[in-house]
Amino acid sequence: MDVPDTVATALGDRPVTGRRCLEAGAGMGNATAGLLANGAARVYAVTNDPDHARTTRRRVADSGVADSGGDGSDGDGSDRGNDADRLAVLKADLRSIPLPDGSVDLITAHGLCNVLDPAALSTVAEELSRVAAPGAHLVVDDYDPLPDGTAIGELFAVENAASELARCRPALTFYPAAFLRRFFAGHGWEFERERTLLEPVPWTESHVSAHADEAASMAAECPGEAGDTLSATARRLATEIESESVGRMYSLAFRRPG
Amino acid sequence: METRPLGDTGHDSTVMTFGAIALNWLEQEGANQLVEHVLDYGVNHFDVAPTYGDAELKLGPKLRQHREEIFLGCKTQERTYEGAWRKLDRSLNRLGVEKIDLYQVHGLEYDEELNEITGDDGALTGFREAKEQGLIDHIGLTSHGDPGLILDALDRIDDLESVMFPLNPVVAGKDGDEYDYEAVLARADEKNVGTLGIKAFAGGSWPPTDELPEADRPFANWYRPVTAPDEIRERFDFAAAQGLTSVINAGDPKLITMILEAAADYDGMDEAAQRSVIERARHDDSPVPEQLHH
Ligand SMILES: C[S@@+](CC[C@H](N)C(=O)[O-])C[C@H]1O[C@@H](n2cnc3c(N)ncnc32)[C@H](O)[C@@H]1O
Repeated sequence: MDVPDTVATALGDRPVTGRRCLEAGAGMGNATAGLLANGAARVYAVTNDPDHARTTRRRVADSGVADSGGDGSDGDGSDRGNDADRLAVLKADLRSIPLPDGSVDLITAHGLCNVLDPAALSTVAEELSRVAAPGAHLVVDDYDPLPDGTAIGELFAVENAASELARCRPALTFYPAAFLRRFFAGHGWEFERERTLLEPVPWTESHVSAHADEAASMAAECPGEAGDTLSATARRLATEIESESVGRMYSLAFRRPG
Repeated sequence: METRPLGDTGHDSTVMTFGAIALNWLEQEGANQLVEHVLDYGVNHFDVAPTYGDAELKLGPKLRQHREEIFLGCKTQERTYEGAWRKLDRSLNRLGVEKIDLYQVHGLEYDEELNEITGDDGALTGFREAKEQGLIDHIGLTSHGDPGLILDALDRIDDLESVMFPLNPVVAGKDGDEYDYEAVLARADEKNVGTLGIKAFAGGSWPPTDELPEADRPFANWYRPVTAPDEIRERFDFAAAQGLTSVINAGDPKLITMILEAAADYDGMDEAAQRSVIERARHDDSPVPEQLHH
């Protein structure tokens, strides 16, 4: 698969070759592909979502970034055989990462923090700090809060309202770069640099429909009238908003003292 | 309009090049008007080819009237010495001019063709003679083929002064060597060879002809172009910001004014915004439609 430019830019000035890497929140496998393409010795791609685990294995395998024989568990012993050995997709909760203390040299959290509410973020940061070896690197890529009055912001608001009613927590939290910078510093990570990955952020038709579906499915879990109203609003917004380019995606890099 | 040095040619080309294929779909009067319109914006580099219907003939009158203001590029798909001479004579006749400023090998696609044009009996031998005789000033090459082939051509043709190749956010977002036109741009820059970008406005391919017959396509382009003013502007800015010497307009005359406006207003595009355009293109034809993030 193609490594997105966002990922390539975030990893561009980080030492990946030969490192043991943790991709926290594997999602669609984008950062996983970037780490493998940049020569990681090993990538642990962790997600709690079985579909995401499958997607990550499949996309990486299909494209031959790392030929994992389709299921990520065994190589074929050919040229790319050891690429398979380089990737382990783990279905696990980042609040309790199934890796020993000090076992990874580089951690990526690409688009992870925005799906973590403050309580989860707090626990995940502790875990990331635990598994990091002395001198390890951390890359945190995320979105600044959107300005007021955007259409896509309205859709996120509906998604969050439905999530709050259904699950008592927000679906999305956009932490400002300055916030995460100080937050990880508080966890003992030395700040190294900030880069702007995307400005504006292109929320495309496919993002809009994916978020509208997400909002509608959570609204379906909401009790009573509120759920109906929210899912109707999500559907309306999905047809009204085609796409919108707004906001900023940033990349922060940190280092653990050696 | 901003100008940039076209490699070592000594000519500063405007950041937009007029692709005169647009004239093919206009009557002579409309063609004359379009050339005046393009010149009003200060465009000083024109590009034409004998394969663009009767674009050469329709360009002729205004080209002759404004010959001093126009740096003229033309090309040939002939690969042999004789063929190239024949087509050059024909183009000079049809255009009605004494000299073509930049004569280009058109649409190089295969390794064998590179061998052929560089051979003793090849097109480039003819180009060089024509240059000695003052019928052309500079030698260029165009290709939408494999970037590796263009890199070879840059290495093998010492007197090459410009290359024309595709560059747009869709291509820039793909990793394979077969899409690595950025490498062509870098090598050309290293060698101080001018770079001309095509397909900057390509949105995708047309639907299959059983869904949309050719006659029902709304634009006269080989690909489906982007058409909204904002998108045109963004595509222009992206292409120009990659560092190309000049960006060639989409072929359909309906799009030219929007492209001229974008070119006239061009004042750079920062890297985060360039990535934003690449990212949008990537999601628009993503194999994973359910993506929530970037
Ligand atoms: C938006 S995706 C990140 C994109 C991904 N990094 C990429 O490069 O494609 C967020 C991921 O974090 C995972 N996630 C969220 N909370 C988690 C948790 N508590 N434990 C494990 N994974 C979690 C989600 O399942 C999802 O796979």
